[in-house]
Amino acid sequence: MATQVVDHSALKVNQTGIVATVLVAFIGSAFYRPALLLIPLLAIVLLAGTFAPQYALFKQLYFKVLKPRGIVKPRPVQDRPEPHNFAQGLGGVFLAVASAFLLPVPVIGLALALLVAVLAFVNLAFGYCLGCQIYFQLGKRGLIRAS
Amino acid sequence: MSPQLLALAVVGVVVLAAACLELVRARRARLKTLGAIAAPASDPYILYFTGEGCTVCRTHQEPALAKLGAVRIDKVDAVADRTLADRFHVYTLPTTVVMTPEGRALHVNYGYATAPKLERQLAEARTGAGLEAVTA
Repeated sequence: MATQVVDHSALKVNQTGIVATVLVAFIGSAFYRPALLLIPLLAIVLLAGTFAPQYALFKQLYFKVLKPRGIVKPRPVQDRPEPHNFAQGLGGVFLAVASAFLLPVPVIGLALALLVAVLAFVNLAFGYCLGCQIYFQLGKRGLIRAS
Repeated sequence: MSPQLLALAVVGVVVLAAACLELVRARRARLKTLGAIAAPASDPYILYFTGEGCTVCRTHQEPALAKLGAVRIDKVDAVADRTLADRFHVYTLPTTVVMTPEGRALHVNYGYATAPKLERQLAEARTGAGLEAVTA
């Protein structure tokens, strides 16, 4: 199992971005319905960032702005990036599904989006990554190639 | 009722249900594990389950274990030693198991356990307090 150095501050910034965006969309939509557009946008950002890290908006914000200016200090940790990428992708998929429900059944769409935000918050605050757990369990069962 | 409030209620119920399920799972795993047997020793000791990708192990658990002083700590790679990890139902890292000198699991801590908590459990393992419950 090869480990690399993963900057956990980048992950934290990503999780903060997810929580903040969903909350803005959630609360904002109560007053201004188009705020819901943030949810499909976030889904695109997360899915794009999973497959092409250069499009990971929040991580790029960290690497290009927050880290160079010393606003957020780097926290390099011996870790594997794959579970975190998988978790991000899973978040993106859930937000994509949430987006599909936003117009026909807004309750389901909002609940799914909020659930993604709750899980991102749990990861941010307590370091428990459900997506990573799912990745390890799928790898253990041979359903994905967990290198 | 607005969709926002309804969604909030739905998520609240889901989170609450997940928390309850996790509590039940952890409790059942703990009950199954208590009394499990490993190698005997002259003093109580700790089985410390860790893994390569476990950050909390390095940042929190290992400093807490270092504070315990001259206590034997058997570090176990939960990924490499699946048999032992399965015996103690280790699905969370770090996990610490306080073993009596007879090699019986007295306390299982899934997740980070503080130094004072481990010290208290080791003291119980020395005096044999709580052993009746484990062996019963």
